[in-house]
Amino acid sequence: MIGWAQIVPVKVKTFPLIPNETKRRLIFGMKSTTLYLLVMLAVSLTGCADHEKKMTFWIGGAPQEVDYWEALVNEFERTSGITVDLIRQPSSTDQRKQGLVISLEAEQPDPDVFLMDIVWLQQFFQSGWLQPLDPFFGTDGFSIASFFKDVVDTVDRFAGHYYALPVFLDIGLLYYRKDLLKKYGYSGPPRTWPELLQQASEVQAGERSDNPGFNGFLWQGAQYEGLVCTFLEFTASNGGGIMQDGHVRLNRGANAVALGFMQDLIRKYGISPLNTYTDMREEEVRRAFQRGDALFERNWLYAWNLHQGDGSAVKGKIGMTALPHFGEGHPVAALGGWHIGISRHSDMPAKAWELVRFILSHASQKKLVLNLGWYPGRSDIYTDPDVVTKMPYAGLLQEIFSRAVTRPNLPYYDQVSDVIQRTVNGCLAGKQPPAESLRRMQSEIDHIAGIYAK
Amino acid sequence: MKESKDRYLPNEIRDAYLFILPMLLFAVVFILLPVLGTLVTSLFREVTFLPSRFSGLDNYLRLTTDRHFWQSVRFTLLFVGVSVAAELFLGVILALILNESIPGRGFVRVAVLVPWAIPIAVSARMWELIFNFDYGVVNFLVQQLGLAGAPLNWLGSATGAFCAIVISDVWKTTPFMTIILLAGLAAIPQDLYKQAMVDGTTFLQRFFYITLPLLRPVLVVALLFRTIDAVRIFDLIYVLTGGGPGGGTTSLSLYAFKYYTSGDFGYGSAISLIVFLIAGLLAVFYVRFTGFREAVK
Amino acid sequence: MREEQVKKILKLTGVAFLLLFCLLPFMWVVVVSLVKEPDFLLPQVAFDVTFDNYSDVLTSGSLHLFEYLRNSLVVSAVAALAATLFASLAAYAITRLKFPGRLLIPLVLLAFSMFPQISIVGYLFKMMIGLGWINTHAGLIFPYITLGLPLALWIMLSYFSEISTELDRAALVDGATRIQVLHKIILPLAAPGALSATLLVFIYSFNEFLFAMMLTTDYRARTIPVGIALFEGLHGQIPWGHLMAVAVISVVPVILLAAVFQRKIIRGLLQGAIKG
Repeated sequence: MIGWAQIVPVKVKTFPLIPNETKRRLIFGMKSTTLYLLVMLAVSLTGCADHEKKMTFWIGGAPQEVDYWEALVNEFERTSGITVDLIRQPSSTDQRKQGLVISLEAEQPDPDVFLMDIVWLQQFFQSGWLQPLDPFFGTDGFSIASFFKDVVDTVDRFAGHYYALPVFLDIGLLYYRKDLLKKYGYSGPPRTWPELLQQASEVQAGERSDNPGFNGFLWQGAQYEGLVCTFLEFTASNGGGIMQDGHVRLNRGANAVALGFMQDLIRKYGISPLNTYTDMREEEVRRAFQRGDALFERNWLYAWNLHQGDGSAVKGKIGMTALPHFGEGHPVAALGGWHIGISRHSDMPAKAWELVRFILSHASQKKLVLNLGWYPGRSDIYTDPDVVTKMPYAGLLQEIFSRAVTRPNLPYYDQVSDVIQRTVNGCLAGKQPPAESLRRMQSEIDHIAGIYAK
Repeated sequence: MKESKDRYLPNEIRDAYLFILPMLLFAVVFILLPVLGTLVTSLFREVTFLPSRFSGLDNYLRLTTDRHFWQSVRFTLLFVGVSVAAELFLGVILALILNESIPGRGFVRVAVLVPWAIPIAVSARMWELIFNFDYGVVNFLVQQLGLAGAPLNWLGSATGAFCAIVISDVWKTTPFMTIILLAGLAAIPQDLYKQAMVDGTTFLQRFFYITLPLLRPVLVVALLFRTIDAVRIFDLIYVLTGGGPGGGTTSLSLYAFKYYTSGDFGYGSAISLIVFLIAGLLAVFYVRFTGFREAVK
Repeated sequence: MREEQVKKILKLTGVAFLLLFCLLPFMWVVVVSLVKEPDFLLPQVAFDVTFDNYSDVLTSGSLHLFEYLRNSLVVSAVAALAATLFASLAAYAITRLKFPGRLLIPLVLLAFSMFPQISIVGYLFKMMIGLGWINTHAGLIFPYITLGLPLALWIMLSYFSEISTELDRAALVDGATRIQVLHKIILPLAAPGALSATLLVFIYSFNEFLFAMMLTTDYRARTIPVGIALFEGLHGQIPWGHLMAVAVISVVPVILLAAVFQRKIIRGLLQGAIKG
């Protein structure tokens, strides 16, 4: 039997001289290959014909969202005659940002139009990647007044210009079980945190006899971006918050009280489960509430349609309202959502604006609500009769949007978020007390601010 | 090894440099220059939303207090240690077994090349499916065999993700190791074994006193390449875990990449330089202490 | 006698383990790509064989699968041929001419091949912006040539060094130039080596990921590995059937090459590693 050694010779044999015929063929082969190679190099050096001007629009990856955009873009192409290359990025927010940063840093003509998460805006503005949009405002009856003033003035403005506009907004809300509140004799949802505590404790104690997995209040406490929103809501509802006068000011008494309350919900009062800080993100919270295992839920707008959908155990039994506040504060909601902008290096800014205007038109934004169930950045949609009939909460939402709070408007937000996520999560896990947590966060964030100081 | 200068012919030197010019040009422009550029960039505060300015060793100082950086260092070194050890162990065993004659060698060869030929990105998605919480084969088998009551969250827990990454990497690189070691084994004259068997030695004795020492040159080279490769790991981790739950499986290369793609080029460059230094130090350590030089000779 | 039998059993087990180890994961991919439900192992889920996954991904323009394949094939082929060409030139000089640095240069190339790609790609990105080569074939071809050069060089070196310099002398005496000697005599003789080198650089470039991620932005120049890494499916989160179908399609070129040229590839790998 032949062994491995003969199959794979370690030493290369010296090849004997080959007959002329074969040699000629080999030489011909080498000549033509070299020629081919040179041609290919030439072709690639002159740049492929592929690089003709095209309008590209980069969007995200959630399934119904893609369908919505495809339909909208098709309509736009029909009515305007402009071809749009719709490119779908991965659904992971981080990967979307990576792709955009690479293209924008490389000053590519594509994408022309793209969507941005609200927290990226400052970095994108300050890196000079976006076209100012105000020069386009006067055309064709477009008015900035149609949008939520607080939102656009806080997050879409930079150095006196508008660089982005909101496509859809998201806020944190309190979902509650109407049936359970009625059962236990409460007239309505809580307005303050102490009220919520009281209602949740009683209902939880009562319901646990039948359903041992029942919890009073579910919210997002895992170590991820969502925790920053939750933290923001609790602290701001006590008159505190993350930013003050344009700087990060975490070390405040109001924040200590709020953070202490968050910790107590899990560890002292027990109305939020222990896995709040290990597992609870949007979907985990939504699923548990939808199964009927909770009285209150803090979640974003998207949960409403799902809760009211077929197959949901809580269909028709729920209501939504603004999140509670502490005695001294007022109701707040963290602002999320996606905005649209035009690349500074776009090779067709005027046409790009046509697309943007179309996307932000009253008709398109109305479709956003009615077809997708997402909430537009245009405030005039909320008083539209069709919308009001289909979405009875439109008025409530419009009111809450105007009192929304934003996460820090900083170009290095990623790193600030990382500090807050880690430390707050550690506090919830009992690793360090609230006051100490706030002190640590403040000092770490100050350090980061120093690195990125102008 | 140096040739005496007076034996050089000017014509020959000119010809020679013309021949090697394309290759050198490419190497200098597309490898040396970028690395130097990275070094220079690491000495600047280069952030997309701020004006660039020289900052000296600030980026490196920042690394010393950066907990995520140290986490990445620990992860990378741990990964290198475990992965290379596993590949070596498996590779040696498989090579020993295959050194004997095997039926269907053509098919075996192709089979062995499959893990190596598949792009890491593709194999990472494959392992993503295999380790998937809901649809993965591993969880299915684990439950069927009664090894665990509930499905395990491989990619969602720090240790699970680490195991998944090591297994994927070992799968990809062990076949390559096996081939190399096989060739090394093949170079050992069979007579030595025959003589040893006549002398009445056990298999283990033959292994430790004949095989291992004669395999050493090949082993050392393969080990060096694999270690350097493992230090710079990126593809597998980016696709399989994206840095892992809470940054727990972020290798150094991935950490640098994250900073590059968030717009902080200066800091990303500093981290890249550290990867370079670690790889360089490991290489020097190898050459010095494992008899690499003799192996090459 | 007993040792013989034990050896035989070990050998067969070893071969079986090796085959399963290498092929089973990928066989799983193929199976999932041909099935409707990826969790068909569960008793309640049906095992529906279908080619739909393949037809879906091949006919969906928005996935840009063909563009990714085209880019990968073009970039890898050009890089492989060019690398082999340049490496042959250099190998000729190193094995046949005396010049200062003759022994140093291969070692320098070897050292270069061990540089972490992350320490190259950052500044390379900036260079490519300056050259205007972001998201172009050229932007990938040139770096890939460079990355493939060390491997190609060591392979060509080992083949060239086996060819006797007597052939050179004879031809030079007859009045041929060195280029002609290389072209008409040495290269044909080392053709198997050139093939090995081309194949290996092709496969290496085909599989490369980091550079492709940072130097390209969309389907016009993106390669298969990036396409697959970012694959999200036509509708919905990670449709495993579709993803596995794309995986199978993307590895068809390299697996074919590996199957047809396995001897050359293995020899080339050994050349590159053992001589290194």
